[in-house]
Amino acid sequence: MSATAQIPQADDTEALVHRCAGGDQAAFRQLYDRWGSRLYGIALRITRQAVLAADATQEAFVQIWQQAHRFDPDRGGPEAWLIGIVRYRALDIVRRHAREVPGYEPEDRADDAPDALTRLVSTAEGAALHRCMDQLGQDRRQLVVMAFVDGLSHSELAERLKVPLGTVKSWIRRSLMSLRECLAA
Amino acid sequence: MSDGQDHDLLAAEYVLGALEGEERREAERRLAVDPMFARSVAAWQQRLTPLASHAAPMSPPTDLWQRIEARIAPAATADIVPLRRRVRFWQGTTAGALAIAASLAAFIVLRQPPPPRVAVLSPLVGGAPVLMAQAETNDRLVVRPTTAIAVPTDKDLELWALPQGETRPRSLGVLPPSGRQLTAQLAPNTQLLVSLEPKGGSPTGQPTGPVLYGGWLTAAESPRG
Repeated sequence: MSATAQIPQADDTEALVHRCAGGDQAAFRQLYDRWGSRLYGIALRITRQAVLAADATQEAFVQIWQQAHRFDPDRGGPEAWLIGIVRYRALDIVRRHAREVPGYEPEDRADDAPDALTRLVSTAEGAALHRCMDQLGQDRRQLVVMAFVDGLSHSELAERLKVPLGTVKSWIRRSLMSLRECLAA
Repeated sequence: MSDGQDHDLLAAEYVLGALEGEERREAERRLAVDPMFARSVAAWQQRLTPLASHAAPMSPPTDLWQRIEARIAPAATADIVPLRRRVRFWQGTTAGALAIAASLAAFIVLRQPPPPRVAVLSPLVGGAPVLMAQAETNDRLVVRPTTAIAVPTDKDLELWALPQGETRPRSLGVLPPSGRQLTAQLAPNTQLLVSLEPKGGSPTGQPTGPVLYGGWLTAAESPRG
């Protein structure tokens, strides 16, 4: 499938993570080759600065190497594990730096970038999530994407959407409850 | 806010990334101590991760791999390489110096029979290395700090060895912040861990406090390489 050729295969990734747990540096290099640009892209979207994104990606890979033995396939796939690590490192950095780029507006391209959609629906889980996100409606969907992908906090979302903090919090909670229900169906 | 029935939503908000300040710290605390909460977080991570596809892959800076490699590579290589350069320098001078070079090379080889294994111990939450450990073939393990470590006066650090595939670490004893030498037989793939324990070390024989630092023992580059 040419559309998914860029997406590392989960099975291979899991095998690489296990080899990393055994101290195999060649496997770690392969993991970097496969995932470096993906994780850096995720970090860049959250931090919005190349220097900070590189720091976050570096910290993430060091953590991946050191904690590869803690990866537990029963709790989720390697993709969620790797992406989780880079997102938390990037969020650590932006929460610490408290957004030094005032006035930055995340691009509203989340729902219409065609290759993003291809990547999203290329797995069964992605397709299910896409369907459930559709049911949220445009505004709520955008809110979830701005939080997850752009790393905007409750208060940043409130400021950007010019609504009270409590309103944003309750919108997000309701969106998450609705996603949980839809995905369990 | 985060009472029992709502723990799954707190987990969802944490994974979403919208939490900040005290709420975020509270979620992190729970993640460390509450297995049910950790399971919720893992489940939400699995559910929401496809959204990460919205971020397009980007080429990282070209030196990023080297930066990562420098952080995970056994730091002892740095000590050994200059010695090799010195050997080369002497070889390149006079014939008389060749003898010195030979004896220096022999000294290196004799002094370190097979390559020692080293571990760089870093905070498990990420950050710069805190301790270096070197395991020699005669079962001697030398652990020394690379930075000042502050330990509360009523606590001690304890060193643990966890061979790959095992789940219960073996105590190597209390670790003073200034470092320590000890004798220990360590399996080829072993992780060294440091936990924070009550004064005198864990009373149970297993870590009771948070595991602060960890790193794998890996073979250092051979000087004969």
